[in-house]
Amino acid sequence: MDYSFLKDAEWRRSILKAAFGKGFVAFMAFAFAMGLLCFVISGEARFVETLISDWHLIRKMVVRILVALSIAALIWVMMPRDKISALVGNNSGLRGILIALVAGCLTPGGPSSAYALLAVLASGGADVGALIAYITSWSILGMQRILIWDVPFMGFEFSSFRFLISLPLPIVAGLIARTLSRRFKWDLRKPKESDTI
Amino acid sequence: MSVGLAVLLVVLAILLGIAIRRGGQDIAPAFKRGIEQFAVLVPRMICALIAAGFIADILPSEPISRMLGDGAGIVAIPLAVLVGIIIPAGPVVTFSIAAVFSGAGASDAAVIAFITSWSIFAMHRIFIFEIPLLGLLFLRIRVMSAFALPFLAGFLAIVAR
Repeated sequence: MDYSFLKDAEWRRSILKAAFGKGFVAFMAFAFAMGLLCFVISGEARFVETLISDWHLIRKMVVRILVALSIAALIWVMMPRDKISALVGNNSGLRGILIALVAGCLTPGGPSSAYALLAVLASGGADVGALIAYITSWSILGMQRILIWDVPFMGFEFSSFRFLISLPLPIVAGLIARTLSRRFKWDLRKPKESDTI
Repeated sequence: MSVGLAVLLVVLAILLGIAIRRGGQDIAPAFKRGIEQFAVLVPRMICALIAAGFIADILPSEPISRMLGDGAGIVAIPLAVLVGIIIPAGPVVTFSIAAVFSGAGASDAAVIAFITSWSIFAMHRIFIFEIPLLGLLFLRIRVMSAFALPFLAGFLAIVAR
């Protein structure tokens, strides 16, 4: 057990910089600008109401994000990467993308289950095209969301029309992703430490 | 406690169990990485959520619906895509807005472009799940691959009707 990094002044400084650096200031300025706009357009009462509902949302989100980040960090450290890449390899072809399309459409549950599965597959070295096709399919064709939200709000005719229109889209995204990642030699198994938002 | 959080907690418990059974030497580096990611993400996410709440409040949905009507034609699609991107809420809010748009005279193609755009680019999902679990490189690949899809959906809907 080596927790000595916690006492490392250099590391602490870099954490502070990552948290409250330039990017953060830009985000905060944007939030202030939108708040001002809301105050001017909708008045003080709506402004306060929005702020209170924001606060409740943030409280819920921070707990979730804390758990999600812990999961991601553990997976990142422990993953037996070679085993999974043998399972959903890079040469899965169009068949891999079609399997991803159907799987995304059928995955039950909200984003937590879909993204957790995606993270495991990605760190295992699954094909980028299949990953993109899977999450795109889950977002626009996910059966659960269509049945619970789309059909009741928009009607069956509209929902089925939207479904048919959108059916080929995850395949398009998957093929573009595969082409791009071959061209630029992207590798999801090696996350860049220096990445910032 | 919501189902989503419960699922996440169960997954975390299982992973921790595995880590401890394997001797626990994975926990310190995971803890370090977790703190690093949290620092990058959470302060920005809080600002983004606050901004998003204000945007949702000042968004004039009635005038937008009129602009998304059949009369606006091709212009309606990019506008619908833009509105879909900036809505930072879950399906309840989004589908109510879609229903308002539809009832106020927006064309089917515009509403489809709106729903597709929100489905693909929902901000809260990107911040809460995608960046923490998959990282920025994945987000970049996905945005580049899927950027055209809402437009494509809108135009396909125009052609099909």
